[in-house]
Amino acid sequence: MFDWSFVSKYAPFFVNGAWMTLFISVFGIALAILTGLVCAGIETAKIPVLKQITSVYIEISRNTPLLVQLYFLYFGLPKIGFVWDAETCAIIGLGFLGGSYMAEAMRAGLQSVPQIQRENAYMLGFSKWQTLTRVVVPQAVGISMPGVVANVIFLIKESSVVSAIALADVMYMAKDLMGMYYNTYESLFMLIVTYLIILLPISILGTWLERRFDYARR
Amino acid sequence: MTEQTVQVETVQNRQTDDAAAMLQVTDLVKHYAGAEHNVFDGISFSVPKGKVLVIVGPSGSGKSTLLRTIAGLEPIQGGTISLDGQVIETGKPGNENSGRAKRPEALRTKFGMVFQSYELFPNKDVLGNITMAPILVQKRKKAEAEREAMQLLERVGLADRAHAKPHELSGGQRQRVAICRALILHPEILLLDEITAALDPEMVHEVLEVVVELADAGQTMLIVTHEMQFARAIADRVILLADGKIVDRSTDPEQFFTDPQTERAKEFLHSFDFKRNRTEQAEEALERFDNE
Amino acid sequence: MQGANILLEPGVFPRLLQGLWVTVWIAAVSVGLSIPVGLITGWLMTLKNPIIRFIMRFYLDFIRIMPQLALLFIAFYGIARMSNWNLDATGACVLVFVLWGGAELGDLVRGALQSIPQIQYETAYMLGMSNWQSFVHVILPQAVRRLLPGAVNLSTRIVKTTSLAVLLGVVEVIKVGQQIIDANRFQYPTGTLWVYGVIFVMYFIVCWPLSLVAHALEKRWAND
Repeated sequence: MFDWSFVSKYAPFFVNGAWMTLFISVFGIALAILTGLVCAGIETAKIPVLKQITSVYIEISRNTPLLVQLYFLYFGLPKIGFVWDAETCAIIGLGFLGGSYMAEAMRAGLQSVPQIQRENAYMLGFSKWQTLTRVVVPQAVGISMPGVVANVIFLIKESSVVSAIALADVMYMAKDLMGMYYNTYESLFMLIVTYLIILLPISILGTWLERRFDYARR
Repeated sequence: MTEQTVQVETVQNRQTDDAAAMLQVTDLVKHYAGAEHNVFDGISFSVPKGKVLVIVGPSGSGKSTLLRTIAGLEPIQGGTISLDGQVIETGKPGNENSGRAKRPEALRTKFGMVFQSYELFPNKDVLGNITMAPILVQKRKKAEAEREAMQLLERVGLADRAHAKPHELSGGQRQRVAICRALILHPEILLLDEITAALDPEMVHEVLEVVVELADAGQTMLIVTHEMQFARAIADRVILLADGKIVDRSTDPEQFFTDPQTERAKEFLHSFDFKRNRTEQAEEALERFDNE
Repeated sequence: MQGANILLEPGVFPRLLQGLWVTVWIAAVSVGLSIPVGLITGWLMTLKNPIIRFIMRFYLDFIRIMPQLALLFIAFYGIARMSNWNLDATGACVLVFVLWGGAELGDLVRGALQSIPQIQYETAYMLGMSNWQSFVHVILPQAVRRLLPGAVNLSTRIVKTTSLAVLLGVVEVIKVGQQIIDANRFQYPTGTLWVYGVIFVMYFIVCWPLSLVAHALEKRWAND
């Protein structure tokens, strides 16, 4: 019933799909981290106007599905002249979605550093910049890390949605093979295995970071 | 060393045969799974009806554990606990992990327990906290339970806070509510586990006042405390617990606190510096500083 | 800009709202069924039995590591074929969202139950309450407070994930949108932008209040 020869024949499809998933994810996550940093920075520094824009962005990004964001970018915007290829759309979409989640994780880290640490740095004569880079950020990074890794996993998973705009990722391959050959079990098996290979190591890293962070807090 | 042990045992034997005892603990053994030594090894004492027994001792001597075993929160591995002449708990070796004692509800409510950390239920207001058990467990009428709760609150000076939520109260107020919550069940004996240890100094007094009033009213109590002045004022009997053993006991608290008879008691009380007050200590320290 | 007029065509807006209703209905049923599943799952997760622990761990980890879209495919194509169970696309969606929501909610329930200090159970015991009484009157009300903000957040995630139903062919708000776009392709070439724009806003209008509620609950109960 389960056709191993089908698996070995079409495994390379999934390798290609995995590269597409990783390609989109890596750039999307990089964009998300960048966006997150900027937003968390703006929120912590309480820059007027920009702060309001940031919180509007975060609310929009968190309360709409990626699929709809992608359809809007890929099918909607070209109609008024913004034409982009599917890869660009996917990366921007993932970055737009992930930016708010990353901002949240980073802000949690920054806020966890007690005010008295800043006051201490101030009394020791540190400049604002020194306080930020030498006192606040090093402490915040450790606390943000588990949240950031959780978001990385979340975004790789979300990237499966890009198959809906015809990008040949892992998900797309499974759908394609099932449509062409009706080898449902084999295709789904390869789908599961490929995602496990990509996500399991990161998930284990995340768990390890969380434990380490828990110990550090005790 | 041997001499002292012998002396302690004779004292123990004498107090074990207390006819009027409300609570009687005999040869209590407590052991934790995997631990090398017993937490207690043959502890015996009794609390007569209407009397107050205070347990003092250094941190880690097992005072709270003793209270918890009597409350039925921890299994015992040897000895017996009796209430009103009835054995309610018999220790069995090897039951370290068997959890809380399976005491019937009516028996559990004969013990009133107040914890150091108050443990009010955050989802209920003050009145709700107090009336919950009488209504649910003793199946009393809501109106009647609330009436008595209000009387109790009146007694501890918190009648105006009946509808406050626990987080709106100070530590001292919370602890007074916790005492009311235990009292409304009319417990035969009240177990107080370091009830002022988590309080700010200025709140200790308001709580202890309530306890003193209870003692005057004839409430039987078993108290674990670090407040030596309070212990001295309220105790009918004192036990000094150290390393899981009763190393001294007295039916004359005034003498125990002012003129301790055993070395262990002297040593222990010395660390509390009974006769001097803080100002004197400070002056002394300043003097020393000037001399140097 | 006259592409926006597509929204004013008779029937367009009501049809989109009908599609949205399907979306909300799938999400609501999923959330509703997730609650009992989550409560039982959460309780099972607190048990010490090693076999139950292993099974629950495997269940939670598998559900968490797989993309929701992959789970939908597994349910729709895999399970339906394997068991001769005639599971339609909507059913597959509800099944996946309940399994997923139940696992996530279960983890919240477990966390909340375990965060109630042991001494609260002891206090209830000393007041004479039975295990059931102390669970219902003391532990559960406190646990609910701790997990409610997370549970409301989870329901916004379920609403958002409902959008994937279109990829299995469920006729919900996005599918309706696509039909409208196709039917008006020549009359309104830029209609795509407006229809997807409206769907975008619709999702926001459904999810945002839930986020606000979750946030408010978090703030209100933070210091209790």
